[in-house]
Amino acid sequence: MSVGAVKLILFGRKALSLGGYNSFMELFLPIAHMDVNIVLILMYGALVGFLSGLVGVGGGFLITPLLIFTGVPPIIAVSNGATQMAGTAAGASFIQWRYGNIDFRMALVLLAGSWLGGGFGVYLANMLVRGGQFGNVVTFLYVVLLGFIGITMLIESIRAVVRVDAPDAPVSGETAARPSRTQALVDHLPFQAAFPISGVRMSALVPLMLGAGVGILTSLMGVGGGFIMVPVMIYLLKMPTKIVVGTSLFQLLFTTAAVSIMQAGVNHSVDPFLAGTLILGSIFGTNYGARLGARMPAEKLRLILALVVVGVAVKMVMILVVPPSEVYEMAVKVR
Amino acid sequence: MKHSLRLMALAGFVLPFLAWADDAIVIEPATKRVEITTDFAGADVKTYGVVDGPGDLIIKITGPRQDVTLSREIKWGPLWIGGGKVNVAGAPSLLYLYATKPIASILPPAEQDKYQLRLEGVQMRIEPQLLENAADAWRQAFFRLKEKEGRYLEDDHAIKVIRHRLVVSDIMLPGDTQIGKYEIETLLIKSGKVVGHDVSQFEVRQVGIERWVWNAAHDNSWLFGIVCTLAAMVLGFTLNAVSHRR
Repeated sequence: MSVGAVKLILFGRKALSLGGYNSFMELFLPIAHMDVNIVLILMYGALVGFLSGLVGVGGGFLITPLLIFTGVPPIIAVSNGATQMAGTAAGASFIQWRYGNIDFRMALVLLAGSWLGGGFGVYLANMLVRGGQFGNVVTFLYVVLLGFIGITMLIESIRAVVRVDAPDAPVSGETAARPSRTQALVDHLPFQAAFPISGVRMSALVPLMLGAGVGILTSLMGVGGGFIMVPVMIYLLKMPTKIVVGTSLFQLLFTTAAVSIMQAGVNHSVDPFLAGTLILGSIFGTNYGARLGARMPAEKLRLILALVVVGVAVKMVMILVVPPSEVYEMAVKVR
Repeated sequence: MKHSLRLMALAGFVLPFLAWADDAIVIEPATKRVEITTDFAGADVKTYGVVDGPGDLIIKITGPRQDVTLSREIKWGPLWIGGGKVNVAGAPSLLYLYATKPIASILPPAEQDKYQLRLEGVQMRIEPQLLENAADAWRQAFFRLKEKEGRYLEDDHAIKVIRHRLVVSDIMLPGDTQIGKYEIETLLIKSGKVVGHDVSQFEVRQVGIERWVWNAAHDNSWLFGIVCTLAAMVLGFTLNAVSHRR
């Protein structure tokens, strides 16, 4: 990893011309077996890092399509997205920890849930692949889920931003005001526990189940799941937005690290040069994002996240409705 | 009579070999090894040769075999969704047909088939096995994509012959070229017949850290994954800690 980074710094600026090919700022990826432009990859990293630092999502949904668009084979894009997120989340968690934004107790419960759910999700994915409909199920899942979460968040956060002059509006959004039968039921579940950093008290089963649900989805979608986890924590667990960002990142660190190791072990698809370059880029973005996030009011942060989620949903819809210029696609199999 | 027929058949079989053996054409790449290092972004393999007189030349460059996955989208109501996927095995990763004139104009179709000088004549295996019609659609898509990417191409300006003797040609390899052995097959053609033939090779391989990383990732994949992921975390953590303290 660091060797790749060092080589990149030492030799990245060496402009040389091999025949007709201009290899200025090019980096050859030993696992992906292709050359990429270093500046481009650094910029991808910075963009994803910025989002991570700002709203606590890993950016897997963003980095994977960006890399595929650059010509990186899909399996390598997915795997290195996970490796990069593990690195970015490690850095970003550190900053969030400094700001006191991580609820470790909540993170561990969520993590236990998401690992359980993740294991089940892998099994489910395997069944769907055998049925031959995996790709389509995943796309529909994305559109429906992201569309629903995104639009709900968008409406809520716009309202919150508009009504920001109401001084003692609850930090965790308007939904806190409505006790329901579900709420009453949840309050009577066993294993009641206090999560002092988040300032909530609930049965540990609630985050465990939510974690499991997210875990299943992340297995199916092949991403860290921050963009599902974050809204879940804000709206269902009613945690303060800033704590949510930190906790999500900390939780993401372990999920993505596990995925990264498994991808390398099973598919040989982790490329240290690619992941290293992405991480290097993401650090600038993360720092800037976290600083901006610390100064920004919670409802604006939620608005930004809502826009990101809606953006991804719109992009997925575009994939579904825009006629492709070439209906066939070719990918080199990675040994 | 029968005897002389047999003799003629034998001569017909042996003579072309004799013609090749007297070196009507010799061609060699300037380098036998193309080495992939960190700043590899494609290569230009210079190839030189000598030919014993006027005639047309065809240089066929065949890359190592490469397995690919083909997928396609189908229209389902107003939506475009995934509609199947196959593996294509056994086809060369790259196929260049360089010539001094369009191949169709210098060799009759039968000879083109004999020397496999058709881009779309490449043999491949489609998995899972399909009915001929279905397999054909995938095969056509394969060729169309390969040609669009410039991996399968025919170029009748790529060979320079100087004073009917010296042959110069540049083989351009893309940045994500497949690792392995590349074959260069050269044919000398006079009035629609192949009168000279030469085969040469070069190898594309990873060296140095590239090779080491590739081997590590494949020989000890789990250990490699754990080390890479931990390194990623340490890198992210360290860089952040440093830049945060600033």
